Amino acid sequence: MKLSGVGASEGVAVGPAFVPRTGGSEPERTGIGEREVEAEIGRFGDAVRVVAARISETAEGLRESGNEDEAGIFDFHAEMAEDPELASAVEERVKNLQSPEAAVLAAGEEYAAEFEAIEDEYLSSRADDVRDVARQISAELMGQADSGFEALYEPSVVLAKSLAPSDTARIPKGLALAFVTAEGSRTSHVSIMARSMGIPAVVGVGDALSGALEAETVAVDGTEGSAITDPDPETVARFDKLSQALAEERVALDQYRHAEARTADGLRIEVAANLGSASEAEEALEWGAEGVGLFRTEFLFMERDDLPTEEEQYDAYSTVARAFGHKPVIIRTLDVGGDKNLPGVDQIHEDNPFLGWRGIRMSLDTPDLFKPQLRALLRAAAHGNVKVMFPMVVEAGELLAAKEMLAEARRELEEQGADVGEIETGVMIETPAAAVCAAELAAEAAFFSIGTNDLVQYTLAADRGNERLRRLQGADHPAVLALIRQTCSAAQEANIPVGVCGEAAGDPQLIPNLLDLGVTELSMAAPSIPKAKKVVSEWKRT
Amino acid sequence: MAQRETTVGPEAGIHGRPAARILKAAKSFSSQISLVKGDREVNAKSIIKITGFARKGEQVIVRAEGDDAEQAVETVAAEISADED
Repeated sequence: MKLSGVGASEGVAVGPAFVPRTGGSEPERTGIGEREVEAEIGRFGDAVRVVAARISETAEGLRESGNEDEAGIFDFHAEMAEDPELASAVEERVKNLQSPEAAVLAAGEEYAAEFEAIEDEYLSSRADDVRDVARQISAELMGQADSGFEALYEPSVVLAKSLAPSDTARIPKGLALAFVTAEGSRTSHVSIMARSMGIPAVVGVGDALSGALEAETVAVDGTEGSAITDPDPETVARFDKLSQALAEERVALDQYRHAEARTADGLRIEVAANLGSASEAEEALEWGAEGVGLFRTEFLFMERDDLPTEEEQYDAYSTVARAFGHKPVIIRTLDVGGDKNLPGVDQIHEDNPFLGWRGIRMSLDTPDLFKPQLRALLRAAAHGNVKVMFPMVVEAGELLAAKEMLAEARRELEEQGADVGEIETGVMIETPAAAVCAAELAAEAAFFSIGTNDLVQYTLAADRGNERLRRLQGADHPAVLALIRQTCSAAQEANIPVGVCGEAAGDPQLIPNLLDLGVTELSMAAPSIPKAKKVVSEWKRT
Repeated sequence: MAQRETTVGPEAGIHGRPAARILKAAKSFSSQISLVKGDREVNAKSIIKITGFARKGEQVIVRAEGDDAEQAVETVAAEISADED
């Protein structure tokens, strides 16, 4: 049986399946007798002390081994276990003759629901922290196994609905070969843990996991995001080979990770990362990013009922600018269209949102949306090497209008005495029109960045989400290459740099083609960086 | 009873490390201490209640009742307004 999910940590592994049977989630008793109230409140207090002490011990252990950030999570859990509000909520319930184990689970669930109601990614993930702590106290009250990992004694693939920090921290070193979870995303705790442990992880496989819990062996491909239960000998052999090749490659690539990217004949090529949110900056630097070639700003506008303020945007942009110091950070202004509703923006239904009112078209028509973003960018530019890039441009007039609005935002900020920085303006080349008009655009732009994903889709008139059109989704199509060539020669004529952001930039097969055409910056998903630097180092001008 | 209004200083608002510092400050006093924002009032000694209570730039009233109320309000308000993450 094959499970598909999100590849949250690269690599492959094959091993026996292990399913942690965590205690504490089912209360043994729901009610108690009136005469037991006092004793049960006392037992609850004892359980809290035991659990808090155990969590603090874990925090100390992590701190001693230098994992300060992880230790901070456990300090937070210990505080939650001892929380006076949680205690009084539980006491109240016990006085109403609910068993303490049921009471703590119910109270924890109530607080978790409060966190989930707040529209903030950080806070909604705190909901699972509260649930986890409540469950630990409940397990202690019932004398049940706390983590479920006590029975793990041989290196195994861990299968679970989800894995909390208290779970992963209690896995004895070296015994987890890989994680497969039903829930989670790339930014879940389990994903971050797996990446830092250097083991593969597939998360978000959904209900399919329940069918895999009886498996004896599991083969995990964290790069592809899939897992195979009880694989046949051929599959095992294939995974073993893959695993060995990956291990060798990882060691071989490590020397490129933090090296400056240069071609064999000494040409400097900047190998940068694409970021989808500010929190990805540190990880990108660890992969050896020499800048940010594309910082998408859409994340600030997603999953909320109001528009982000200038201040919130400034926070996100300046965080990344500071993290990268003097290294360039190219921030793309909002690129949404009719496929996404924006509060306060008068959108109409569009049959064809990718050919609709989106990107710079929407921004120029909606100064209330665009201005705060430009102001936030100008202010963030005071803290680093920030550049701004406009999406969906099809003619020079749009670039001029955007630059005019940027100049206006600068004047306003300067009048208010705000701290603003220098900022270069560039154009995203992602429509055939922009590539064809590259010479006119180059006269007004400080740089180009070719967005190959959209350029392919618009040039070949092939929806990139349509699986049947796979053969029309590659950037190596002659028409696409011709447009890239045209863009590069216009840029060389005007003496401005050209980058590529999009999957092509991180594709080892395509990088030499892009360099041949005159591209000097490549921006990609951070884990592709070491390999890309290696490919760059082997290329030279012909 | 003592109280004082202050502005949230940390970039991240009241969560993570700033929340831990506020909690620690509150727990070092015997007074009952609460944070008030609009019509919401929460126990300042509860990490569950103060996490996510306010964002950077928002106004929060620190209120305390007890023997060391004055000093508690000063100390907790100072942590809330500290511009440190």
